[in-house]
Amino acid sequence: MKRNYGFAYAAPQALWLTVFFAAPILIIIVYSFLKKGLYGGVEPQFSLEAYSALANPTLLAVAFRTLWVSVAATVLTILIALPCGYSIARARNQAVRLFLVIVPFWTNFLVRIYAWIAILGNEGFLNHALRFLGFRAEGYQFLYNQGAVILVLIYMYLPYAILPLFSTIDKFDFSLLEAARDLGASRMQSYVRVMLPNIKPGIFTAVLFTFIPIFGAYAVPLLIGGKDSYMLGNVIADQVTKTRNWPLASSISMTVTLITAILVFLFALRKPKEQKLVRDQEALSQSVSGGAA
Amino acid sequence: MLFHARRALRKSAKAASKILPRKFAGSDVIFWLVILFLFMPLIVLFVYSFNASRSGEWKGFSLIWYQKLFTESPDLWKAFENSALIALTSALMATMLGTLAAVGTARYSFALKSYVATMSFIPMILPEIVVGVSLLVFFAGVGLKLGLISVWIAHTTFNIPFVYLLVSARLAESDPTIVEAAKDLGATEIQTLFKIILPMALPGIASAFLTAITLSLEDFVITFFVSGPGATTLPLYIYSMIRFGVSPVVNALSAVMVAGTVLLVYPLRNFLKVFAAR
Amino acid sequence: MKGSDVAVSNVSKSFGSFAALKDVSVSINKGEFYSLLGPSGCGKTTLLRLIAGFEDPDRGQITIDGADVLGLPPDKRHCNTVFQSYALFPHLSVFENVAFPLRIRKVPSRLIKELVFKHLELVQLEAHADKKPSQLSGGQKQRVAIARALINEPSVLLLDEPLSALDAKLRQHMLMELDAIHDKVGITFIYVTHDQQEALSVSDRIAVMNAGKVLQIGSPQQIYENPASEFVARFIGEANLFTGVVTRREGSLNLVDTDGFGPLLVDDETEVAVGDRIVATIRPEKIRISTERLEGPNINVLHGVVHEPVYSGFQTKYIIRADSGSLLTVFRQHANWSEGIPDIEWKDEVFLSFSARDMVIVERNPG
Repeated sequence: MKRNYGFAYAAPQALWLTVFFAAPILIIIVYSFLKKGLYGGVEPQFSLEAYSALANPTLLAVAFRTLWVSVAATVLTILIALPCGYSIARARNQAVRLFLVIVPFWTNFLVRIYAWIAILGNEGFLNHALRFLGFRAEGYQFLYNQGAVILVLIYMYLPYAILPLFSTIDKFDFSLLEAARDLGASRMQSYVRVMLPNIKPGIFTAVLFTFIPIFGAYAVPLLIGGKDSYMLGNVIADQVTKTRNWPLASSISMTVTLITAILVFLFALRKPKEQKLVRDQEALSQSVSGGAA
Repeated sequence: MLFHARRALRKSAKAASKILPRKFAGSDVIFWLVILFLFMPLIVLFVYSFNASRSGEWKGFSLIWYQKLFTESPDLWKAFENSALIALTSALMATMLGTLAAVGTARYSFALKSYVATMSFIPMILPEIVVGVSLLVFFAGVGLKLGLISVWIAHTTFNIPFVYLLVSARLAESDPTIVEAAKDLGATEIQTLFKIILPMALPGIASAFLTAITLSLEDFVITFFVSGPGATTLPLYIYSMIRFGVSPVVNALSAVMVAGTVLLVYPLRNFLKVFAAR
Repeated sequence: MKGSDVAVSNVSKSFGSFAALKDVSVSINKGEFYSLLGPSGCGKTTLLRLIAGFEDPDRGQITIDGADVLGLPPDKRHCNTVFQSYALFPHLSVFENVAFPLRIRKVPSRLIKELVFKHLELVQLEAHADKKPSQLSGGQKQRVAIARALINEPSVLLLDEPLSALDAKLRQHMLMELDAIHDKVGITFIYVTHDQQEALSVSDRIAVMNAGKVLQIGSPQQIYENPASEFVARFIGEANLFTGVVTRREGSLNLVDTDGFGPLLVDDETEVAVGDRIVATIRPEKIRISTERLEGPNINVLHGVVHEPVYSGFQTKYIIRADSGSLLTVFRQHANWSEGIPDIEWKDEVFLSFSARDMVIVERNPG
């Protein structure tokens, strides 16, 4: 019988995450059920005010917009990432192609946002280029709308989708495509009926990796979008830092968390839980180490 | 008749082009377009960093923004220093905690194992903003003044799951009988840990450490909430530059950072590959 | 006769600088069980893939029933493939795998059911229709792949080393089953293998390939008994080879001065002239091994010592070191009639006798 040191190894991390992750999350769960303090903070008094405030039409509008922007950006990202992942998986120079995908991904998040401002801004590259080509002199307003937000969100999270898709497609047995062609399927049929069902786990992972961060997006709508592209993340931040309504910030956070959790849970349900979790973690670790290595 | 024949011809020509073994397929076209899309903003920044003008118009080559970056931006360099300090220390802490926990859960089963595994997974799938807000509320609740310490705690917290995951993945690949052999040959637990397990997991630990540094250098959202006076990190500084008066110094800084990334990643990547191959 | 005839004429195919096929021509008759036999890398699989339509040749022509099929994608050719790796769709059940081609053709589902079960019966898998490929054994996967390839009623079935992933016993069994299926459906089978035993036991004709070329085409008997080249002789079964110079020729009987074995008689129709340098071969089972000297007309006799006996139940393989020091292989069957003949053991002195008519000339270089 070997001595069990498992807990001794895991205790420091468990303690750290309990104090600095679980406790804070518990606190905002509790706060979401408390009354807002007069000068920020909370009153220790049970209240559902923060949740009934969610029904506020402006807030609901932001919630639906957030959902719409996230779904649109995620779907477009996956649609672009699928052929990219396939192309990398079938290429001979896989390493070079992966490197090319990862370099922009390794460039600072804010630098990448800023680069889009430099391109799309009123005095940006695109307007100067158009002016040079004889388009109207006063330029066009490309920034500060939903389209720009979706574009930049796709830009930000495309590598998050390409990497897990690549790693799943790379494991896919391409001779199955030949078999499908041999059995009478057209090229498109062979992709849709044979490849897609077999790379589902990768697609789910890619959806999770893009949808979750986009759903909680803060910086992109703030810097790229206008008033009409405010998302839940911006509302949370405003409630925390400006209005100092912590219960409301907490209840919105809980809503965001809940929707995320439902999404993860739905995907986890598809297969025996353990297996799914492990697979997701594998895919994640692969794309993460892809990012690092 | 002729029409049909022509159509058949065209059809078979199309069919023939379809089955050509993958030389340059549609997916490759999309791939290279995406690469162009991914790189275009970086290239624009790079070019603009040499622009003599403030605006988007090209007014001639100049190194003025680089000069300003390196000689007239003390706050920026202070922010860089903070970022580097936080990145190194939080990556170190997270690597220690995460590696130990990964070793523990890989080799033993114990009462809180699933708690450890779950707690190491959830932070990764929660939106950053929720993590940031909850930490802010927590720090306010326990009365910790926002500053370098709070940023360090936050970064260590979001780094731990990644370290745990990467090291676990590496440990899962290694042969458990090697550890049994070490014990069989008389090694104690501590000796086994330092002489067998950790060296075997080293590629995983190294890539975890590097990943943690990157994530920390990169983080904006969580830092935005938990940072305080004197704890401005580089992303926060860039943010304020973008928000309050864009100066083309950002262009120069971005160009330096992109170049730095490429120069750093490429050799490192090969190094890691060699490492992993052993 | 059902099935199609397939003609490959002067086909060449390169991958980069590697020439996989060099000016290859074969013509396969309707309903034939035709094997492409050769070592790995000889181009046999490439040839199969060209017929299936997965690759296009650089030069040459491929016709099925006289119609040019070049440029037609695989889904437009009346041939189906059984892949080496089976290539079963892992996300579909056995039933749906077999039904796949019918679903693509939008066949009504009632008919699908009927046809799928008919084909599952053919391969005796009716009971496993609902299983996923991962739940099947190697032999069962093989059968699913065959049923799936046959359901479109192709006129040509292409089999790419279909048995190579199975263990030896199962391979024998599946081979017989394949032969039975061929008899039942009556279409053309083109069978790629590197295993000469497989090819010999089921084929109507065999094309032996090496290094991108077809070396010999013929029935299994022709290929085995009358190899056209040294390579074929070595590759099919085992062979003892003799190199030497023809010193006399009377009719078809040649006296050959061999390197290492002295003068030997070779009775072969092949046109050779005195002074030619030739390679002749004899199969190990055609050599009599004995402790006494057996003589007769046109019988070659060599003397040697047992260098290595390899016992394998039904026979013993002897490696004999001839007096000259060169080695020869001999098979001795353990049939009843040999009882009472003293056993031949390690280091025994033996005589090897073999008829000049069993010698075959496989190479000749005019002297």
